[in-house]
This record gives sequence, C-alpha cells and structure tokens, in this order.
Amino acid sequence: MYFWIKTATLFLVRSRSSTVVLTMMVISAVATLIFLSSLAIGINDAMIRNSVGLFSGHISAFKIPDDITKKQLLIEGVSGVLKRIPTAGFLHYRDKLEMVRLIAVEPAEEKRFTAIWKKAFKGRYLEPGKKEIFLSRLIAERLSVEPGDILNFRSATDSASVELTVAGIYKTGIDQFDRGVSFCTMSAVPVKSSPWNAAIFLDDGVDKELVVGKYRNVKLNNISFKTWSALMPDLQQLIDLNYISMFIVIVHVFIVVSSGIAGAFSIFILKNIREYGIMKAMGITPMETAYLIFSEVILINLVASSMGIVAGAAAVFIFENIGIDLSAYTSHNQYFIVSGIIFPRLTVFSLCLPPASALLFSIPAAIWPTALVIKRNAADILRSI
Amino acid sequence: MIQTYNISKSYRSGRGKVQALYDVSISIPGGTTLAIVGKSGSGKTTLLNCIGGLELPDRGSVNCFGVEINTLSRKELSYFQRRNMGFVFQFGNLLSYLTVFENISFPLVLNNMEKEKRVAELLDKVGLPEIISAMPYELSGGETQRIAFARAIAHSPKMLLADEPTANLDTETGEKLIKYMFNVCKEEGCAIIIATHDQSLIKLADRTLTLLDGKVTGE
Repeated sequence: MYFWIKTATLFLVRSRSSTVVLTMMVISAVATLIFLSSLAIGINDAMIRNSVGLFSGHISAFKIPDDITKKQLLIEGVSGVLKRIPTAGFLHYRDKLEMVRLIAVEPAEEKRFTAIWKKAFKGRYLEPGKKEIFLSRLIAERLSVEPGDILNFRSATDSASVELTVAGIYKTGIDQFDRGVSFCTMSAVPVKSSPWNAAIFLDDGVDKELVVGKYRNVKLNNISFKTWSALMPDLQQLIDLNYISMFIVIVHVFIVVSSGIAGAFSIFILKNIREYGIMKAMGITPMETAYLIFSEVILINLVASSMGIVAGAAAVFIFENIGIDLSAYTSHNQYFIVSGIIFPRLTVFSLCLPPASALLFSIPAAIWPTALVIKRNAADILRSI
Repeated sequence: MIQTYNISKSYRSGRGKVQALYDVSISIPGGTTLAIVGKSGSGKTTLLNCIGGLELPDRGSVNCFGVEINTLSRKELSYFQRRNMGFVFQFGNLLSYLTVFENISFPLVLNNMEKEKRVAELLDKVGLPEIISAMPYELSGGETQRIAFARAIAHSPKMLLADEPTANLDTETGEKLIKYMFNVCKEEGCAIIIATHDQSLIKLADRTLTLLDGKVTGE
C-alpha cells in the first residue's frame, strides 16, 4: 500500500503542470464554495442581527413582576437585559391629541444594545435622567411638534400625567414602530409600579430556545417569553426561504463545479493511461491499479482541498472583519434597517461540504478510467497511444 | 517450455477485420533464444503479446512453463507475468514519471525483492552506472532501451519478450544492445523471444521463426 501511495505521489509531483492545473481548479472551487456558503449564512445573520438589534432583542419577555430584577434574567449565554415599561396613553400638544404606546427605557443601556437611537431623524436620542420623549416622525407630524417642544402625556389607565420635552424624532421604516410607539426615559415614566418588559440579547451562537428553557427551569414560568422567530414569523420565513434558495443555488454550483472537477480528474487519469498500460505489462493487478489511481485522486484532493479550505477560510476571515457593504442595495429593506453590511460566517457545514463534495465527485470520476485500465489488455492500451 | 497451440487472433480496424495470427503452433524450450521475423504486419507483435499474456488469442491456447495463461484470471495473470516475464518494447516504454532507479526497481518491488544492490548490478551490466537518478526524458534512445532491458530482467524472469528493441536505434547501437541482451540472458538463464525484421540479429538467435500474414512459413 505504501509503495502505491509513494508512486502516486511521484506521479503527481512529476506531472507538474497538469497537477498544478488540477490543484488550482480544486483550490478555487473549494475556496469559492466555502466563501459562497459563508456569505449565505452571513446574509441570514445580518437580517437577524438587524431585526433583533433594532429594538426587540433575541428574546422578548412580557409582564415581568416587579419583584424580579434584571440580574435574575442575566443567565449564561445572555449578554444583556434591557428593562422597559410600556404605558398606553395620550399625547397632548396645544389642541392636538394622539394615542401612543409610551415605552420607558434606560437610554444608556438602549444605546449599548439597540440601534433605534441611530434612527433619529431630527434632534437626538434620550438622555438619562431627563424627562424627555423620542417620537416617531408620523406622530410628530400629526402633533406638529419639533425637538424642544413640551408635550403632555396622560396614561389611559389613570389620570396621572407628565410633561415631556421632545428630544428627537425618529423614522425606522417599520410600520409597527413608526405608527404609534414613543420612548421616554425611566425617570419620566408616569406609572412606576407596573409589570415590566425585557429585551434579552444573547451571546453569538447561543440557541434562543435553550435560553428560554433555562428561564423556565429557574421558575420564571409566569413570564411570557417570545423568541424573535415567534415575534417576527415573517423574518423566520424569509430566513428559511433564503436558506432554501441558497441551498438550491449552492447545490447547482456544487454540481457544475464538481462535474468540472470530475471531468478534469478523468482526463488527468486518461492522460497517464500509457503508464498504467506499461505497469500492467509488468504485472500489476487490478487491485493495485485501483490503489494507484485512487491514491492519486485522494492525494490531490487532500492537498488541494486543504489549500482550498485555507484560501476560503482566509477570504471569509478577511470579510468577516471588514464586512461587505451592500447598503446601496438594502437601504429600503426593513431587514437591513440598521446596517447593510454583511459579515460572512464560517460554519462546520460551509467548511466541510465543499471539500467533501470535491472528493465525492472525483472518486466516482476515477472509477470509469480505472475500470477502463483494468478491463483493457495491456497490448490494447499500448497500441492506442 | 513455452508452447502455443493453434492460436488465432483477429482485430477489427478501419479497414475491416484483420487476421493477425492464423493457427500458429510453436514450441520453445526454456533457456533458448528465438527470433520471430517477418515483414511489418506479419503478426510478430501479436504473437509476442499472446505469448506474454498482453492480449488473449481468439482461439487456441498458450502454455508457459506448464501454465495455460489464457485460462488465468486477471489477477492470476498479473502475478504470473510479474514473476516469470520481462518485456522490452520498441520505444522502451519507461515509466516517464519515475527515475531510472525507480523504473528498474519497479518489478523488484512487485516481487518483494531486494532493490539497491540489484539495480546497481544491472546498471553496471548495461554499462550505465552513472545515470541512476536520471529521468527517462534525459536519456538517449540507446540508453532508454538498455534501461528498459535492465528493468525487464531485474526480477530474473524465466522469459524475456522483446518487440523490435532495435527498431529506433542505429545499427551499431542496436547490435550492441542485442549482444548485451543475449549475454546477460545467458548469464541469468532466461529465454528470449525477440520480434524483429533486422536480419543481422537473426544469426545471434538459437532459432528463427518466420511469419507471413499471420502464418508460420518457416523455422
């Protein structure tokens, strides 16, 4: 066995140009496929990151009793918990009245984890400790207010009212925000003892369902937890659709590229048919012929695929850090509301599938020429060259 | 003893069916040298190939040293060839990706025999001890044929089959090579069957067989 591997290595090393061409072909195919798969995953990541990063977090918790603190929700895998107190009520400015859902937030924490503050269209985001309001553009227009104006907010459940200064006006492009949601600081919240909501942000790669399961295990059963996929089924569907369409595209690319590799391998083996014919005349057995040819195919695949993995991973690594800016093509897309920059991400699947596919296609490609060499007698092979 | 019994062989080619051999029966005692002569297309190479198992006759049988080689499986035939036969082809047919040393040691590895000493000994015998690391493309025609011969007898086969080994060499180099072959084979106790149309080589062989249109016409 060792002799055939050594002979196969010598054949490959001394074939030089054809080995280099075939190696380059496999390297570029494997690297391209790794990058494409990573890009597909990066696009989905970007859509999730944009959607959860704007406001909702990976998990939303509702109706959390007052006696439960933020700290209790900060378990393993959770990077941040944002406290929010929603109040339904009316905004009153001069003779105009608008119904809104006012959400009291902690501005500093919100700026750390969410991107809604980046959507300020006029003025600025809320500042801690100030009695300010951050309005959507639609409400601001209906009330005819500008940053600096002072509004009156009255809760729908009691008569408590509070005066709030307009800090800024935002526009996200997402209806559910732009239509009737406003934000104020915690210090300005009119109803302080109501149950609170939380936006929970997870560390990279942490399974959201697993975290929800952990919350249930620590007896937080009374709280309603909803993952982003439950809150945004449209996004979940889009991601599934993206995976399916990318899978179809990548499978087709795999088939085309792998068929090319398979064809190149067949030609590569047939190019050396004279050598196999001579060896056959010297008495190499069919099994030894197969050992030799398959050793060549596997060796070239191993070397070229390893180099392809390195090249593909390096390309992903570079763009994972600098990103691919597609903002020009995503500016009107709500799933890229925060940023249109895609960061390709390597997964075991994207790293292993391309080299596995190259090997999978090149081995059957070697079967036909191997069978041909075994089946034809040495005289026929030597006569035909 | 090598014997063929009424072997016939035909090919299909662009010109239709070609009868290369027709009822050829010959008998060659071990250790003798036989020259198969005839014009181009007379069936010399086909007869040599049938004897060596490089192709199978359509009819008849080939018995080499008591083994009917046309009844062997592919694997059995391979083992038989690697142990008992050596081939020298018209163009040398060295393995182009292997060095001279690797070419000569190839049949030795197949037969689990010691390499280094034997290769050095053979290179000395063929008068080319200095080209052990050369690649085939670096050799002249005469050198290529001498290395091909060294490779063919490396594993001390019982029979050497040579197909027009001097066809691409000048007369002097060709004669030298044939003398080498005959001398070395005599030393090694190996039978030689040589296909040639070079009349000057015939006188060196113990026996001569003449083929014409696939039939034996003289011995």
